[in-house]
Order: sequence, then C-alpha cells, then structure tokens
Amino acid sequence: MVIHYKCPNCGADMAFDADSGHLSCPSCGHEQNIETFPEENIERKFDEGEAKEYHCENCGAIILTEAETTATHCSFCGAAVVLADRLTGDLAPAKVIPFTITKDEAVAAFRKWTRGGRLTPRGFMSGDRIKKMTGMYVPFWLYDIEGEAHIKAIGTRIHTYQRGDTIYTETDFYDVFREIDLSYLKVPADASEKMDDELMDKLEPYDYSEMKDFRMPYLAGYLAEKYDYDNDQLFSRVESKIVPYIDSYISTTISGYASVSYTNKQIDARKKKVYYTLFPVWMVYYDFENKEHTFAMNGQTGKVVGKPPISAGKVALWFTGIAASSFAVMKAISFAVGGVFW
Amino acid sequence: MRNPAKRIFIASLFLMLLVIGGFSASAQTGELIYDEAGLLTEAEAQELEALAKDYGEEQNVEFLFLTTNSTEGQSIERYMGDFFDERADSTGQEAAVLLTIDIGSREVYLAGFGTAERTLDAERIDLVLDRIMPEMQRDDYGGAFRDTVVTSSHYMEYRPGVNPESIFLKTWFHVTIALLLAGGIVGAMLYNVGGKVTTTPGTYIDRDHTRVRSQDDRFRNKTVTRSKVPQNKGGGGGGFGGGGMTGGGRSFSGGGRKF
Repeated sequence: MVIHYKCPNCGADMAFDADSGHLSCPSCGHEQNIETFPEENIERKFDEGEAKEYHCENCGAIILTEAETTATHCSFCGAAVVLADRLTGDLAPAKVIPFTITKDEAVAAFRKWTRGGRLTPRGFMSGDRIKKMTGMYVPFWLYDIEGEAHIKAIGTRIHTYQRGDTIYTETDFYDVFREIDLSYLKVPADASEKMDDELMDKLEPYDYSEMKDFRMPYLAGYLAEKYDYDNDQLFSRVESKIVPYIDSYISTTISGYASVSYTNKQIDARKKKVYYTLFPVWMVYYDFENKEHTFAMNGQTGKVVGKPPISAGKVALWFTGIAASSFAVMKAISFAVGGVFW
Repeated sequence: MRNPAKRIFIASLFLMLLVIGGFSASAQTGELIYDEAGLLTEAEAQELEALAKDYGEEQNVEFLFLTTNSTEGQSIERYMGDFFDERADSTGQEAAVLLTIDIGSREVYLAGFGTAERTLDAERIDLVLDRIMPEMQRDDYGGAFRDTVVTSSHYMEYRPGVNPESIFLKTWFHVTIALLLAGGIVGAMLYNVGGKVTTTPGTYIDRDHTRVRSQDDRFRNKTVTRSKVPQNKGGGGGGFGGGGMTGGGRSFSGGGRKF
C-alpha cells in the first residue's frame, strides 16, 4: 500500500515540515495539522503483488526501495511516499520523535561543526563540499528496564593516630550489603543493521518530551526504515549499555569507605516494556580529497558525530603548543618561587 | 659611628695593617684555605683556592676551608666560631661559608656567616652535607670542599627559604609534566573528534523507582599496624648543629656530621 498526502487546497503532494511540525504543501504553502488531516485527502492504493513492487500514484513509475524502506521519494517525480504496509501490524512504530531541524538548518549546523574542528585539515573546515544530506527516520527500540541488584562488598576505613613515638594505623573492615531496585526508562538501541551502532550511540541523548505517538504523515518527505532486529535480539546490547550505569549507581550507594571490594554483585535486569520508535537523523555525505566521509546529525538537537579527517600537522602544532606553553608557565612559576631558571 | 659593621670594618683595617700575616703564619696557603691538618697537597690546595675565589666573587661571599687535627677540647662548633671571629676581626669579611674538618674526632661542620646565614640556611647546609658525606667517608677532603663550593653557590642562587632540591624546580620535571599534559589534552581531543558520548549514568535512570531497598554496614574486624615515628637524619653518622652564635657574637647557620 502506497500513501500520498494530497494538499486539500491544490492537490499537490504534501511533506512534513520540521519547522512547524505540520504537513506543508510545497506548491501553495498550505499547512495542515497532522492530527486533523482529512481522511479523504489520504490517497491509498493497493498494488497487486504488492510485497515486491510499489507504484507511484502520481506518475505511475515503479518506486525503487530496499526491503527495509518505509518512506521515500518517487525517484521520477519526487513525490513523498509512505509505504504503509511496512508500518502496520508488527511493524507499526509506537512512537516517533519528529524532525525539528530542517535541511537548511542541518546544513548550517554541519558547517558550524566543521568550522569548529580544531584537528581537521584547513580544506575540510569550510564545510562546503556536502555531497548529499538525507533526512532519515532510524528505527530504535526503547526499553523500560526494571531489575534488582544484590551487592555484597567489604569496605575499609583507615585512621591513624600516634601514642608516644609509635604511629598506629588502624584498618576497620565492614561487611556491606545492599539490595537495590533498579529502573531505567526508554534506553535506546538502534534496530537498523545499516547504521553503525557506535555512531548511533553517540547521537544520544534525544529529548523525549517531544516524543509523539506515531502517525505516518511525520514520515512524508523523509526516508524511513523498518527494524532489522526485533527487541529480543537487541536486549543484550541494551543490557551491555546499562550495566556501566548500574555499576556507577551502585558505587554511589556505598560511601564513606577508603576502599570497597565487591565479593558478590548480582544484577538482574529485565525488560518491562519496549517501544518501537523512529528517531530523526540527518545523514551527511561529504567529499574530501577523493574520499567520502559519512556523518550523522541528531535531527532533534543538531549534534554531529562521525570521524572527520585528521591533519597530522595540526595535531603536532597543538601538541607542541600546549607542551611549550605549559613548560613556559611552569618555568615562570618556578622562577617566581625559586629565583632560578635552570 | 652607629653602624657596627662599619666599626668592625675600620677596626679590622687597623688590625690588618698591624698584624698582616698574623694568622697566615699558621695558614699554609693563601687566604681561604687553612689546612692545618695537612689533608691537601700543595697543588690541590692551590687549585681549590682558585676555585673558591672564583665562586666567592660571584656569590659575594668567601668560601673558607679549615682543617685541624684537634679542636683542643672544644666542640667543633665553638672551634670554628673562634677561628672565624679571629679571621673576620682581622679581614673584615663577614659573609662567608666555612667548611671545618676535625680529623681527630672525624667531624665535619659547615656554617654560613653574614649574608650566607640566610642564603645558605640550615636546610640547605643539610643538603650540602648529604652531598659531601660520601667524599668525606672516602677521605677525599679536597673533593668535599670542591663540592661544597659548587653546590652551595648553586643553592645560594635560589631565593632564601626555598628548597633548591625540590622536584618542582627541576627542569626534567617541568618537561615531563608539559609532555604528559600536552599528550593528555591532544589525546582527548583526538578521542573526541568524532563526537563525544554525552549520555551519563543519570540519563535514563528512573529516579522514582531506583532506590536502595535495604542496606546494612556491619563492622567485621580490624587490623592495627604499628610503626615508629621516623627520626630525622639517621645517615652519615649522626647530625648536630643547626646554627648559633660565635663567642664573638656572630650568628651563623650551621650543621655538622660525624664521618
């Protein structure tokens, strides 16, 4: 099933506008609230043999998609289309964070980021060789996690005192027990095979207060994908993500000791609830010195991640600069204190 | 004439005119080295004399070397004090660093007079003694004096009260810290160039439901270790001194050791 959102004014294809958070018509400028979009303007078309092929309603061309694509553009007429059957049933997202950064803002934010690159080559800093910007909804699983931790540890306290000419060092050992209830909300893990996990982790955090119940019109005008991994497959990844958080929480509950050594640390975490959610990401494809560099930008906060080229000269410059200036400062201090340079 | 220094200076000028060579009769060499115990060879004495003179002019003090076979029943502190009183009265030179060796009781004493009392204080004298003790124990007395002159001159360039051997004043320490700092900062910049992880352990925590349900901290046992309060300066056969006043009323900084 292919869905077009037709403008109630002029009949052109509408697309989501990140500025207003509404559907907007590129030809007449009409804006339409997503919650109140008139049913009769949603054009649905079932294709025969649909699992394989979709046809654009406007021009009849075959819509070329990959198996994971859930929203795209017609490659001939450019109309925004949403592939509805890939967003229903098991594949229906529960939540979505809409784009709040438009393409122009994304370009500007990316340029600003390249200008701030202190270790990148001069040519890269201009940020003017963006080959392609793609706004994409990336599938994530968000997990509500609950669990318990049972902790046994030995803590020590050390104090020293002096009697006559003898120094006594007393080490007190304590048995420490903690029973902890754990609860973490909406911990994300990206469910797309294509996306680099490390890159996606660095895009966090998203502002969940702007999270909406999923509606298809949010996807109009963007690329979107469906998940490749279900929430059971990804749970181990999310677990490995929160274990360090849990560890650091546990250590905050044990205080006042000079040293703590854990004798037994039993952490039991279960998923309580999962939400299939689409997060907004701008993918930036950038050409530099005959190589394509890929960056990702949080479509909500504008945070940019990805490996930029590194200039060895600048690294050396920073290193010598910092080393030389800190050496000079220390020498100056030691001269001020001691009165001697060497 | 209110100024006692001036008075002493003029008095000593008179004395000098009257009794030139009065003390130098017992001094085998020049005017800085009084090797009454005969620990140095003629050549050695001359070389050290020249060295002491060079360094002394630079620091505006006199580097003096006194050796004796016996302190005639007095303490070495007293003995060298008397020697210096007599010498200062006759030469008018009040600023001096004096290394005294009593070969009879195998004691060494280093003292700073005049300006050297401040620029070579007890702490620095201790450091110099640390330096020369190995030479003393090898019976290399010329070497000990040479080291005293060179090391004291070096120390006296530092502001008074500062420990000249402090690690914070060492160039190698500055270089190491500078390199570590630069390496750390640039390393962190490189590490974060692809974007920082900005989630924290608190990002996804549910504060309403994450809590300590029960806790218990129970004392189990204790261990006690004893150690003696460290005594200052054990090495080199016991130290003494710390400065004082000569019989002639000159105050000095000082320190001595047995060897």
